Amino acid sequence: MNASAWNMLLEGAWVTLWISGVSIALGVVAGLLVALVRLAKIPIIDQLLVLYISLARATPLVTLTLFIFLSAPNFGIQLDRSVAGILALTINTTAFNAEIWRSAFGNFSREQREAAMAMGMTPWVMFRRIMFPQLTITSLPGLVNEMSFLIKGSPAIAVIGIVDLTRVTNRISAVTYEPLPPILVACVLYMAIIGCLVWLQRVAERRANRLAE
Amino acid sequence: MSEATAVSIQNLSKSFDEIEVLRDVDLMVNKGEVVTILGSSGSGKSTLLRCINWLEQPDRGIIKIAGQRIGVTDGGKPMSMRELAKVRARTGMVFQSFNLWPHLNVLHNVTEAPIHVLGKSRSEAEAYAHELLDKVGMSHKAKAYPNTLSGGQKQRVAIARALAMRPEVMLFDEPTSALDPELVGEVLAVIKALSAEGYTMVIVTHEMTFARAVSDQVVFLEKGRIIERADPETFFTRPDTERVRKFLERNEG
Amino acid sequence: MSNWEILWLERAQFIDGFISTLEIFGLSISVAFVIGCGMLYMLEGAKPRLEVPLRIFVDSMRMLPFLILVYLLYYGLPSFGIRLNAWWAGVGALAVYHGCYFAEIFRGVRQTFSPGQVEAARACGFNTGKMFLRLILPQIIMRARPLIGNQLIYALKDTAFLVIITVRELTAAANSLSGTYFIPTEAFVVVIGCYWLVSMSMELIIKQCGRFSAKRGFDNV
Repeated sequence: MNASAWNMLLEGAWVTLWISGVSIALGVVAGLLVALVRLAKIPIIDQLLVLYISLARATPLVTLTLFIFLSAPNFGIQLDRSVAGILALTINTTAFNAEIWRSAFGNFSREQREAAMAMGMTPWVMFRRIMFPQLTITSLPGLVNEMSFLIKGSPAIAVIGIVDLTRVTNRISAVTYEPLPPILVACVLYMAIIGCLVWLQRVAERRANRLAE
Repeated sequence: MSEATAVSIQNLSKSFDEIEVLRDVDLMVNKGEVVTILGSSGSGKSTLLRCINWLEQPDRGIIKIAGQRIGVTDGGKPMSMRELAKVRARTGMVFQSFNLWPHLNVLHNVTEAPIHVLGKSRSEAEAYAHELLDKVGMSHKAKAYPNTLSGGQKQRVAIARALAMRPEVMLFDEPTSALDPELVGEVLAVIKALSAEGYTMVIVTHEMTFARAVSDQVVFLEKGRIIERADPETFFTRPDTERVRKFLERNEG
Repeated sequence: MSNWEILWLERAQFIDGFISTLEIFGLSISVAFVIGCGMLYMLEGAKPRLEVPLRIFVDSMRMLPFLILVYLLYYGLPSFGIRLNAWWAGVGALAVYHGCYFAEIFRGVRQTFSPGQVEAARACGFNTGKMFLRLILPQIIMRARPLIGNQLIYALKDTAFLVIITVRELTAAANSLSGTYFIPTEAFVVVIGCYWLVSMSMELIIKQCGRFSAKRGFDNV
């Protein structure tokens, strides 16, 4: 592999990283919002969200990406490839994150809430100062695990022609006629990225366990 | 009602699914007074305490904290969460299971509500928090997190946390029931010291010796009714009712 | 002619794609299951020297995207003179990849077992192989079933990646139809519905197994 091949690989890694990063950020926040709305148990909206979560969990990322990218023009929207990719990853990860947040809400102890109320906290102050920080700590291991899954699913965006870390290996071997080296390097890069997340997850788990004591 | 009344409870009744847990309870707590509520389990004593700061909503009755009615506005409507929070801020509660906030260290557990409820500055809140932690003997653990403390230490921090609101009344809900026997003493000592300082307190407890030593008034609850109230001397030596006599016999020592 | 009518006329393509997806899924997941069990058996102490390399292998697989493994088998293996067609490369990648996940799931459940059971079996004269097949494996499978169910859904979703190496499966059918007739929305709605139906039925079956297992007392060992 020559210098330009290495460059291309790094560019591919960068595409994977920034598209996944944006989707993760959007998905964590959107998942929290979905969980909050589901807690409010508004009729119809609640059922719609249940359906969304069930569909999003069952739909392959490749299929979802193609669906969004190809059918957006039907609705008069021209989507940039990266936007379509981000949208697909976000719609997928939001459904999983919503369930992670919701189970943390469900497990939040009544005693903690009572202690906050007894101290004269309004619901908003209690949520902001007592519930949310604890929910973040308890949800983080699950959220980080879901981030690993998102990275592992991210090559799906290659299907609409985004040149990510997986797809770029095709580009390189089209020039070098040696497909194996770039694929192996891509493997190592993926392992480095996901290895970081696995390590982060362990740290997050330790913190969450400390909170649970 | 006089200026000197910290808590007044009139005609308080409360049911959980058809089962009446409190029936027409009346109770006055004067400022600086220590009232202990005794009774066997299921007598409604914890519910009575939790009604005072509206953690349980009574079905009937009027509760006032330092003259201010809780739960119902002057117009007779149910209070909003915001209004309720304001009255609750004038009480301090200590729970059986401590309920410290695990994501905050000891100091921040104590300063959290003064800063975010009372709007005090951080420096002012921390100065007072250090004073209170000193009082409960926990100033050396100010930076520690709750999970590293023993039960007795947790409860002492919880007491400091409640005191930090400068409450009109301190409510103790079986503060030593979740503790290992050897840790009960340190918590009771702190509460005793507070009573000597003139804090107003309502205490639900099973510790008879402690109740006798610390109380100005003892109230005995049976099936949701107060069947006996007296000064501790009278209560523990010559109670009026057979029921209390039996209860004391069983809980001797 | 409405878009839906076009889809109805072209239903053969969907059905072919659907059957192809189910074939790929069924075959690869069965092999993956066997691979998972085999790895567990080896981790059980039958082949001590294999334990460390095996753990490294399983952990590496779990740190890779599925598609990159497909690339390795499809584009990479020819460098060693092994040429698989797209279909076999896809099935092989699915089987190995999810086999590793199964192994990890089984291992996690295995760790919750009390050592007493194994000791009791040894005392009764069971050898390692018999003990594994008759005692350990059935319990692990019954207790791991919610996780197995999850993994099945992941595996089903991963079959769609194979469209990228030109395997003719369900997503490929939708893709080609939407290309021919410009009806992407309808085509993909149908396909997503198919994936959803299969996932839902798998969840239902796993739940039914749960009832059976509760009856046999597997849950409170």
